[in-house]
Amino acid sequence: MERKYLYVDYLTCIGCETCQTVCDFIHDGNPYIRIYITENKQYLPINCKHCDDAPCIKVCPTQAIYRDEDGAVRIAEDRCIGCLACLQVCPYGVPFYSLKVKAVTKCDMCAERREEGMEPACALMCPAEAIQYGPLEIVMNLVRERRAKNIPEHQRELTEEELRKSISSGFKVF
Amino acid sequence: MRGMKFSFLCKKKPQPTGKRIAIVGAGPAGLTAAGYLVCRGHDVDIYDKMPEPGGLMLFVIPEFRIPVERVRLGAKELEEEFEVNYYPRTKVMEGERLDEGDEFYERVIRLSELKEKYDAVLIATGIWNVRRIGIPGDDLEGILSPLELLFWIKGNKLGYVPDEKVPDLRGKRVGIIGAGLTAVDVAFECNRLGAEVEIFYRRTIREAPAGAYEINILRNRGVKWFELVTPKSVIGENGRVKAIELLRTRLGEPDETGRRRPIPIPGSEFQVPVDYLVFAIGMVSTPPVNGSYLAVDRRGRLVVDERHMTSVEGIFAAGDVANGPTKVGRAIKDGLYTAVAIDKWLRGEL
Repeated sequence: MERKYLYVDYLTCIGCETCQTVCDFIHDGNPYIRIYITENKQYLPINCKHCDDAPCIKVCPTQAIYRDEDGAVRIAEDRCIGCLACLQVCPYGVPFYSLKVKAVTKCDMCAERREEGMEPACALMCPAEAIQYGPLEIVMNLVRERRAKNIPEHQRELTEEELRKSISSGFKVF
Repeated sequence: MRGMKFSFLCKKKPQPTGKRIAIVGAGPAGLTAAGYLVCRGHDVDIYDKMPEPGGLMLFVIPEFRIPVERVRLGAKELEEEFEVNYYPRTKVMEGERLDEGDEFYERVIRLSELKEKYDAVLIATGIWNVRRIGIPGDDLEGILSPLELLFWIKGNKLGYVPDEKVPDLRGKRVGIIGAGLTAVDVAFECNRLGAEVEIFYRRTIREAPAGAYEINILRNRGVKWFELVTPKSVIGENGRVKAIELLRTRLGEPDETGRRRPIPIPGSEFQVPVDYLVFAIGMVSTPPVNGSYLAVDRRGRLVVDERHMTSVEGIFAAGDVANGPTKVGRAIKDGLYTAVAIDKWLRGEL
């Protein structure tokens, strides 16, 4: 099966918390995508990036972390010993040790939903279209398309003066 | 582009239960609740006073944050795949009250009438009124409501508002009071339309609800940021806004929100000339009742119990109308959990 990507675009994200909400809803109050707010109030939804060269897969001493057929980095809960080696090497600090499950839990790209032929809920519901899911080529095209809409020049009506200048001398508007 | 998938919990409509639910308000809370309820086999009708579903996401929040098509296609999917019926331009009201956006509705239905006709009613009418500031001169011509200004601009693009309604802001000086998400959105839109924008805020950028990140993007685009000032009065000439009189403030002890309280400094008055003024100091819940039909709290929000039910059995409320102004995601969350409660209640489990 073709490798899928779940990409969260921080420049498009509006921090509305919809992704965290729907993830929380389908995972009984334990969202695998969480919004972090920086000091200057930038909103960063953080979830597992399902890295291509995933350090967690390499470091796991019991080979409990594997990649499934869609490309999601998954955890075999019965093999996890809770050593947290994966957390040590994850650049995003994503792996979460659940005392209830007695294993590391994290975003599995909505594995249960994918089995039923549905896509990850966060990508389906994000109002800003900041989360894209699919094969790499398609995801990257969608991100470019969405980003292009937010370039200020594309949203602004030019005055006659600015239009004249931009034609004659390459004058840049912001 | 694909639409928001409000029915993200199922692939197609299951066996119908025969229960009918009316949802009042087609914003994020109402549409998400509809998505859940159709996935549980209920029939859903949605009433909204605006010409098409989407609520603030479609008519107020600027296009660069939430694309129109994203919302439109999502609402359409509910209609086409899940047989949700929309009743646009229909205001549901028990009693009377003027709200913003009222120019769009053509029919009025009483809430009690919906209660009779349906097995359950969900109110998700949001926050369609703006808090007034109450200073001398705040009714002069040239003072614009942030909500009205935003839905004129977006409604004009969507083809519902004639060109002459949208003020020509090119080269005009627009003063915005407030530093919340609405204030920032108004600033973005006015800046885009060629206005010289100045934001006045009574605290500092560190306390601003919209955050330094957003405000600094605006400053890079030429918007002026003026902190530690509070409006005292609006100066007019021939009935039109000419300037705003401001007082400088200093920060005192933290208040109940944990932010330091701004204290006006007497004698520090000064004026700033403006052509338009926008007071973006908060929005108010607009439940479809005015009177004693449903209980509301001191701030006009509908009172709900732990079942998300209002004071009348069978009428539920979700989103900003019950919680006050929040974020799209929190309205969606409330819509989802209220829909769960409605489903349980209809099945006799609550």
